[in-house]
Amino acid sequence: MLRYFLQRLLWSVPTVLLVAVSVFALIRLIPGDPALLILGDRATPETLDALRQQLGLDQGLTVQFIAWLGHALRGDLGHSILTGEPILPLIFDRFQVSFAVVLPTVALAGLLAVPLGTIAAWKQGSATDIVTVAGATLLLSIPTFWMGLLILLLFGMRLGWFPIVGYVSISDDWLAGLVYLVMPISTLVVHEVGGIARMARASTLEVLRLDYVTHARAKGLSEARVLLHHVFRNAFGPTWTLLGLILGNLLGGIAIVETIFTIPGLGRLLVEAIFARDYPVIQGCLLCISLFYVAVNLLIDFVYPVFDPRVAVS
Amino acid sequence: MRSRTLKLNPFLTLIPALFVAGAAAATEAKVALTADILGTNPGVNRDDNTDGVMLNIVEGLVGYGEGGTVKPLLARSVDISKDGLSYTFRLREGVTFHDGKPFTSTDVLWNWKRYIDPATKWRCLPDVDGTNGLKVISVEAPDAQTVVMHIDKPSALFLDTLARTDCGGTGMLSGASVNADGSWNKPIGTGPYALVDWKKGQSVTLKKFDGYKSPDGTGFDGYVGDKTPGVDNVTFIVVPDAATVKAALLGGNVDVAQALTSDVAELKSTKGIVVLTPSDASKHAILFQTNNPLFKDVRFRQAIAAALDLKQLVGFASDGLSAPSNSAVFGASPYNDDIQKRSFQYDPQKAKALLAESSYRGETIKLIANKRAPMPSSQVALVTQSMLQAVGINVEIEILEWATQLDKYNSGDYQLMSFSYSSRLDPALSFEQFAGDKTKQPRKVWDNPAALALIDKSKTVTDPAERQKLFDELHEMVLADAPLIILYNGLTAWAHRDRVQNFKPWEGKPRLWGMTVAP
Repeated sequence: MLRYFLQRLLWSVPTVLLVAVSVFALIRLIPGDPALLILGDRATPETLDALRQQLGLDQGLTVQFIAWLGHALRGDLGHSILTGEPILPLIFDRFQVSFAVVLPTVALAGLLAVPLGTIAAWKQGSATDIVTVAGATLLLSIPTFWMGLLILLLFGMRLGWFPIVGYVSISDDWLAGLVYLVMPISTLVVHEVGGIARMARASTLEVLRLDYVTHARAKGLSEARVLLHHVFRNAFGPTWTLLGLILGNLLGGIAIVETIFTIPGLGRLLVEAIFARDYPVIQGCLLCISLFYVAVNLLIDFVYPVFDPRVAVS
Repeated sequence: MRSRTLKLNPFLTLIPALFVAGAAAATEAKVALTADILGTNPGVNRDDNTDGVMLNIVEGLVGYGEGGTVKPLLARSVDISKDGLSYTFRLREGVTFHDGKPFTSTDVLWNWKRYIDPATKWRCLPDVDGTNGLKVISVEAPDAQTVVMHIDKPSALFLDTLARTDCGGTGMLSGASVNADGSWNKPIGTGPYALVDWKKGQSVTLKKFDGYKSPDGTGFDGYVGDKTPGVDNVTFIVVPDAATVKAALLGGNVDVAQALTSDVAELKSTKGIVVLTPSDASKHAILFQTNNPLFKDVRFRQAIAAALDLKQLVGFASDGLSAPSNSAVFGASPYNDDIQKRSFQYDPQKAKALLAESSYRGETIKLIANKRAPMPSSQVALVTQSMLQAVGINVEIEILEWATQLDKYNSGDYQLMSFSYSSRLDPALSFEQFAGDKTKQPRKVWDNPAALALIDKSKTVTDPAERQKLFDELHEMVLADAPLIILYNGLTAWAHRDRVQNFKPWEGKPRLWGMTVAP
């Protein structure tokens, strides 16, 4: 197990390095000059050159990359070009905010969707199955920005149950913070439930067709026992992997929801940095997201044998 | 025991009642910000949005009046020597910083020293250290209420530079605004509002400065005039999404917000909402790359100008809220006289005739635009394409992301571009925005040497009448050369709940003073 852990950990190093190189190179391939964006239409050749020099953008790309990587390895992600803020604490603050949205989203979506998908598979062809599949497809098809706006208009504006704008951190005031998180989490849960339920249904169906399930039923075990003890454990693996992927994806991918619900999270920081060509912030955010992604996937892999002992054996 | 309790009750109930009365008297307003501020250091980490917040907190020696003329702010008066090289600022008495410290000439010296220190990274340093021409040679404080600044050559724009919003109005700060090591702490200014708290990405909270001493004057006058604050506490809430802003305004979660021009008609008909659409000095324009073989020919440029029905174009682009103006001098400027109102004339027949004379032979021209709200770039491009098509000019629109378009603008890599210039209140600076040597600055669209000489002259001449002549001459030259077509001055739509009274934004920025709210 330890060897497996170390092996997986070592494999993640080139992944993160590759991400670092790609991010660094790709963002610089996009047209747009941060110095020009800062100076706007007051830029002169002299002031532009001076600012580029001050920001270190006059150096060659290789020099910039080596310098950035060297600092990053020492835990210094540099300063924002736009605001001058140190990036590491900035990302840490924003990460906490996004994480407070993403984790409950995945947990709630999983708790709702997995039983739903499993029951739909168990009752394949029944009205429950048809409604679940149709509902899951519908929820999956609704863009989050649209769903977010509908939720905002109904529960925020019409009913006035939740505040439309503003944010309170749950670490400052957990109850008030929770109130601000209800609408964004609901928006994401509604969207994610569809995909997870479909995956849970598909993998359960696959397992239900296997001979050992027929055997278990032939032994006279109750349907509940067959489903919970024999089917669920074997069917949950792919869904578990999907939950990990969603967790990683959402962290950097909820910029739209963060924008609609005025949540100062990592996704919004990243999008704003891209528009401003704030290279150090973009690099820092993407590095953080990729590290998180790698960490979550490692965790998923390590927990996987709990559901599927064959993985541990192999 | 019982009687004793009863006896004390009136006092016990009176004390909290007094507190409640005091609390109830405090008024609060919530203002939506489309983006977070970039910093609290005036003129350093900033954008227009940041300036809009900061200029409620800090004030400089001078400030802009409503027409773009520069007037005393922390100064009581400004005297310019006959040779135009010395500016004597007599400071207003009784002004204090938010920390209670009196404002004197010593503070001006300290602030100036800080601003011209390259370590401060003040945006406007190149405009006063000789990099961009003008240099402040020295600053003296003969007494506690007098400051004298000496510059190296006469300039009509020195005071304008000090007042510029992107320079943070050269805001005067208390020494406690920086830490012992000189690093930035927080702005302790002299403005009508003091900074309480900045929650990054979330909100900026200000409170009324009870010790505020307003400049003389009645009513609103740009960044001068009567600036007495009315609301006790103001919270700027960062709301980046326009749909959320609208919902928050209608739902009563914010009191004041910028609105999309496309929402103005709906908001105007909504009970409890007041809509304002003040114009500003920004300019929406169609730029020609006059180095391009096709656009080198003035007949082709004039053909395009004649093909555009500006009234219809501007009406569409501004949702019917603006009127065309081809002048670089904004509408409220005292220099916007009848000559500045002369414009390109819509004449499709003339356009076709000029087109036939030009070297244009049906080539497809690329028109670059963006969709950055609230800029009307793409709307302008759409109507322009249609109108040019009507006279036989083929146009293909390319929508770019803002940073990419700005790159192309700066390098001059375009044929036609739908572009918006930010505000320049002084006409000399407004003309200079698009005029200059293309070999040095490819972003400039107009490099007529005679025009450049006139602009240079207008920067040194201080007599208003003489400047008017220069600006009028320049406007006629723009109409003749047609290096660009200025379409109209920008406007920012604002909406507020009717509990808010006397909210008067200016130049796209929220002025908090004068505003009151019902408790």
